[in-house]
Amino acid sequence: MDFTKTDEQELMLENLREFCDRWVTEERIQDWYDKRRVDDEVCKAYLEAGFGYMFIPEEYGGIPSDAQTLAMVVEELMRTTGATMPFMSYGLSMYDLATFGTPEQVAKGMEAYNETGQQCFSLALSEPGAGSDNQSMTATVHWDDENGTCVLNGTKTMVSHAETAPYIMFIGKDEDPSHDNKSYSMFLVPKDTPGITMAPLHKIGQTSTNFDEVYFDNVVVPQSDLLGEKGKGFKQLMHNFEIERIMLSAHSLGLAQAALEEAARYAAQRVTFGQKLFKHQLIAEKLTDMEIKCQNMRNMLYKTAWEFDNGIPVRLDSALCKRYLSTTATEVASDAMQIIGGLGYTTESKIGRIWIDARGDSFAGGTEEIMVHIAGREIVKKYASDLL
Amino acid sequence: MKIAVLVKILPDDQDIQVNGDRTLDFSRAKSTVSTYDLNAIEAAAQLAAKADAQLVAVTCGPKSINDSKTRKNILSRGVDELYMLADDGLELADAYQTGRILAAMVQKIGDVDLVIAGDGSADLYAQQVDIQTAEALGWPAINGGTALDTDGTTVTVTRMLETEREVIRMPLPAVVSVAPEVALPRIAGMKDVLAAGKKPVVEFTAEELGGIAAPTIETVEILAPVPTPRKKQIFDAADEGAIDAFVAALREVM
Ligand SMILES: Cc1cc2nc3c(=O)[nH]c(=O)nc-3n(C[C@H](O)[C@H](O)[C@H](O)COP(=O)(O)OP(=O)(O)OC[C@H]3O[C@@H](n4cnc5c(N)ncnc54)[C@H](O)[C@@H]3O)c2cc1C
Repeated sequence: MDFTKTDEQELMLENLREFCDRWVTEERIQDWYDKRRVDDEVCKAYLEAGFGYMFIPEEYGGIPSDAQTLAMVVEELMRTTGATMPFMSYGLSMYDLATFGTPEQVAKGMEAYNETGQQCFSLALSEPGAGSDNQSMTATVHWDDENGTCVLNGTKTMVSHAETAPYIMFIGKDEDPSHDNKSYSMFLVPKDTPGITMAPLHKIGQTSTNFDEVYFDNVVVPQSDLLGEKGKGFKQLMHNFEIERIMLSAHSLGLAQAALEEAARYAAQRVTFGQKLFKHQLIAEKLTDMEIKCQNMRNMLYKTAWEFDNGIPVRLDSALCKRYLSTTATEVASDAMQIIGGLGYTTESKIGRIWIDARGDSFAGGTEEIMVHIAGREIVKKYASDLL
Repeated sequence: MKIAVLVKILPDDQDIQVNGDRTLDFSRAKSTVSTYDLNAIEAAAQLAAKADAQLVAVTCGPKSINDSKTRKNILSRGVDELYMLADDGLELADAYQTGRILAAMVQKIGDVDLVIAGDGSADLYAQQVDIQTAEALGWPAINGGTALDTDGTTVTVTRMLETEREVIRMPLPAVVSVAPEVALPRIAGMKDVLAAGKKPVVEFTAEELGGIAAPTIETVEILAPVPTPRKKQIFDAADEGAIDAFVAALREVM
């Protein structure tokens, strides 16, 4: 077992801290949270430093990377800033596009990405009537072969980056919205295509990323905007879920670690009843359990990332990671808030932001319950496949 | 054209501990690039890119400087090759010894037109090595550069003096040391970090360079300063004349 980081990983993390020092001040963070977006120039600087190119294939100008390095970078980004940096996911989105897009579509996406530094597309999957239960979606794709076009209809909701991404990745059912129709198709649609409108949704946390309901009203697109294969949209979508869970778990861990460090520094200074806080046993116990949790989270995350990199299936472990890290990060942030006392419950401290952002990880990319739904079956397969 | 930038590798001052007897404990300190040399590397890299020149980095010091991460750190910043002498004979090298070795390295590398150095090292900050290296090479030298330019046969150096800006042109080869404000060190890109390990590193031996010169100064001891106890003098702004008293107290200690 080798936990040593490579020279390259250490240098990248040092460079990342330098990037945060220069570009991500607390004042800017608050501004981004208020206006629901990160300035283009900062997204571009992140991209130019190369972090945003991780995982994108080299032929498109990307940097071949592994899940372990991606996890470390995302973790360090949140730890250093104590906030949600939306650009953590931009490279991975391009990787998605490169997985099932044509070279022309990927090139188009890269062009937009390089130009703005913003995520190239938002993912319009969830619907008011279909969240965890995606198959209940009713958005449709009508194939008009005569005109070589498709007509998209439906209401999508909770679409992250909808306002800043130039394209939308839309997924809908071919022709028939009924529950049992398993034929889905996916499209890369310019956000300003006629028939597309949106209305902002207001999250309580992670507001540095905008979030919208998006309406598709007879949106006509050329059939060449199809992503991947007709009818196989859902399968394609599932393709990169596991690496996405690893990335989101790293987000949770970075936030938890930031909370722990903030609480430890506070406990080292604040005096009550003539003692530094950390000398009170109840506080020392909290710090101890927070540290155990952070170490456990990290071990679990790095191991899953390592498995991913070594071609070991991570269907189970990535679901365990997503569940454990999202829920545990919220616990750690909550304990950190408790240690900081009333001040922790004010906007004077960043702990509130960390706590509220960590809480959001229990939904995005699959809820903690859906992770159980996945893991439960995998666990029985793992230990009792002979009985199935 | 070939440009050489002089770089010092030293223990990271954040990890240096002060012992009870005020001596310094370096045992936990990892190697790093001397702070102001990062600015010099950046200035050199920008100039090399502009002049389409080759950029090599030159470093010497005790064996501990031969650290793979630090090598890659230097090579990820626009530097094409790294030349190194890592020899424990340079453990407490003075500026004269260092200058001699660096000059020998520059000569051994060959065809160097311009040597660029930082303002001073992050540990000793003697601000001597640039001049000593130039002296050993027999080349003209200038320090405090805040902007550099070259046409291949001369180097133009801008310096900010108290009330004026001075622009000096020198024939090449020459040595120029630069003030930190000359350039903001880049954040090395991920691609550059990944490529750094594949760039050439040439390690010299002291013999190849004609040996290490005898020291000209003797280091008696290096001790951390005695911390000054806080005066705990409190002024209440509400009191009559408190501000004046505060200013007077500041003047007294300054
Ligand atoms: C920060 C954030 C970002 C998001 N970004 C996007 C995005 O970019 N694009 C996009 O399309 N969507 C996005 N979403 C939506 C997200 O994918 C959904 O919130 C999620 O899939 C859950 O769906 P739902 O909210 O409709 O909850 P529901 O599916 O209605 O679930 C409600 C509750 O019931 C539980 N539940 C549901 N089914 C079961 C079951 N079978 N067994 C046990 N419990 C169950 C759920 O876990 C949850 O606790 C985002 C959400 C958040 C919070």
